[in-house]
Amino acid sequence: MKNLRLTLAIIAGKVLIYMSRLLGHQGTSLPGQIARKIYPRILRTLSANIRREIVAITGTNGKTTTSNMLAEILQQQGYSLVHNRLGANMLSGITTAFIEKSDIYGSRKFDYALLEIDEATVPLLLRETRPRLVLITNFFRDQLDRYGEMDHTIKLIQEAVKDQEIEMLLNADDPLTANFQAETGLKCWYYGFDDSSYDNCRVMDSREVRYCAFCGHQLEYEKYHYAQLGQYSCPQCHSRNPERDFTGHELEMSPDIELKVDGMALKSPCQGFHNAYNILAAVSLARLLGVEDENTKKAIASFKPQAGRMEVFFINGKRVVLVLVKNPAALNQTLASLIYDPGRKNLFFALNDNAADGRDISWIWDADVELLEYENVMIEQIVCSGQRSGDIALRFKYAGFPRERIKIETELPRAIELAVQGSVESSNILCSYTALFTCQRILMEMGKRSEAGEEKEKAYQPQS
Amino acid sequence: MAHFHLVQLYPNLMNLYGDRGNLLCLQKRLEWYGHDSSIENINPGDSLDFEHIDLLFMGGGSEREQELVLQDLASKRDSLMKAVEEGLPVLCICGAYQLLGEYYRSHEGKEMQGLGLFSFFTQGLKERLTGNILIHTTLNGVEESVVGFENHGGRTYFIDKRLQPFGSVIKGFGNNGEDKKEGIRYKNLLGSYLHGPLLPKNPQVADFFIKAMAERKGFRIERILDDSLENYAHEQVKRKLMG
Repeated sequence: MKNLRLTLAIIAGKVLIYMSRLLGHQGTSLPGQIARKIYPRILRTLSANIRREIVAITGTNGKTTTSNMLAEILQQQGYSLVHNRLGANMLSGITTAFIEKSDIYGSRKFDYALLEIDEATVPLLLRETRPRLVLITNFFRDQLDRYGEMDHTIKLIQEAVKDQEIEMLLNADDPLTANFQAETGLKCWYYGFDDSSYDNCRVMDSREVRYCAFCGHQLEYEKYHYAQLGQYSCPQCHSRNPERDFTGHELEMSPDIELKVDGMALKSPCQGFHNAYNILAAVSLARLLGVEDENTKKAIASFKPQAGRMEVFFINGKRVVLVLVKNPAALNQTLASLIYDPGRKNLFFALNDNAADGRDISWIWDADVELLEYENVMIEQIVCSGQRSGDIALRFKYAGFPRERIKIETELPRAIELAVQGSVESSNILCSYTALFTCQRILMEMGKRSEAGEEKEKAYQPQS
Repeated sequence: MAHFHLVQLYPNLMNLYGDRGNLLCLQKRLEWYGHDSSIENINPGDSLDFEHIDLLFMGGGSEREQELVLQDLASKRDSLMKAVEEGLPVLCICGAYQLLGEYYRSHEGKEMQGLGLFSFFTQGLKERLTGNILIHTTLNGVEESVVGFENHGGRTYFIDKRLQPFGSVIKGFGNNGEDKKEGIRYKNLLGSYLHGPLLPKNPQVADFFIKAMAERKGFRIERILDDSLENYAHEQVKRKLMG
């Protein structure tokens, strides 16, 4: 046996993965963490088994969905891959993903590795692996970043990729990535959206001001596609969006997404402008990797969003959508998607303040909840739940939603029951992280019961 | 129906952890009381006419941002103090509160002058004081509990012992985690470390400002609002803290 320690680390990791799954955990970080203690070079060694490319995917929002879409595309093309698909995106989670796929000798080969990586961890990843392509979906600041950590992270990423054999794929509509080519000297590919009917020119109060990456002056926007992504220019140094290599155009959300990427027509069951960006990013990356269009189209058409990333259930004839919201940007995008949905609906929000949710829930006030014009979006009632049900109820009250249609029910099962009642066509179930899996389980059970009920009804129908 | 003119100082720089929610809260409550209001944003370089404003608000910001606004604010210092003496309602949260004092000393030992409106100073430490907080205060003669979320590296100490805090700490840290004092209160000015934001879950504090604003216009607010949701949210945090 060539490397006993490596084998030991892999076996320990595999046992831990197996055990934590038995216990009902997803088992994503701990196995990698322990294996790294046993054999610190494990990630370097295992990642050397990738035959074609290692692709790293980072950014504030959309990295999990984008990398999952790309995984579908590559599998459709018939490639084997290692992928931390459950979204554990620190080095330990990535190590777990390699261990899970590896044989005990650490010698099994794969075509690709798709590594979703936390922004701040990119420099560490580059010390242990050699990605050839790095995709940055976007950099969104949130309230946690007022101490300038984002600028610092961007600088660290730029320093880490500089002088390496790396090509970057970046969002042309995000001004924070505009200076990557100048700062790193690397080949940078850009994707972005052409004008769409969903653009707006309105500036919301809390929309954070963006500054020019080159000279620091406040930017002027001609158009916002989605949040701070849009067409901008700098009145001082006259820089503007980088030229696009991949263009998304003819976007339709009705509410499922249809769009073209440089003429290639795509359909997706996903919704919302943020998902249109995820599709554009994944398709651009697939083009760079030389995937055939037919495979890309098929994969995008069949890709269903994951738990909490707009998962859809059907309960009592209603469409029920489960969404994880953990920061102002995520809440904004979820609310924005309601604007495009013309039917009558209920809204549900379970807000917890455990450590994994963030103890400070004030971010709900940094979101543009006022964005919804409540007389037009046809929301019948808003059910507020979770440990901070009061706070979220107040947020909607002060955004102008009528008090008498705000309900508080702290118990999740009863609260969800309330939210899927009535004559509405759909319910939107929003929750913070620690409420997500409970809500998902409740909805799955309700979905099954509702399906069984329908079948029973059919069975009782008189034969004619 | 009266019109109230609310001013937010440096919204792009001084607005942390949902502080803007304080203004949204005041605006909605004024509307429910049957009045009209507008919010004016003042950025560095803009002039500020204290004659025509009903309330001044400034939220939190980092050291870097405090330094950026300080120069601009210094030019407005004397007229601000005069307005405060005349009873202008002012709400300063976190970093804005620190700016009202004599100086701020960072944990690296760098000293930054404050506006010196009040005789206190702030010592920055690396370890932040973070968490839900409950304080007691007296507003319009009534003892009230106030809840919020604090998150500050600075420890604020009163040099002039006659200064009156906003409230006394029941759970949490407050000004410095030592003397049980939270914030500062002077006439209709409140300085406080409480984010959350402060006003929506503490409607009695919001109404303290609204009553003061109305009084300055020569009338009283008579209507009583339905604060059942506000009180529910308030109690929820209180229960969490008191176990």
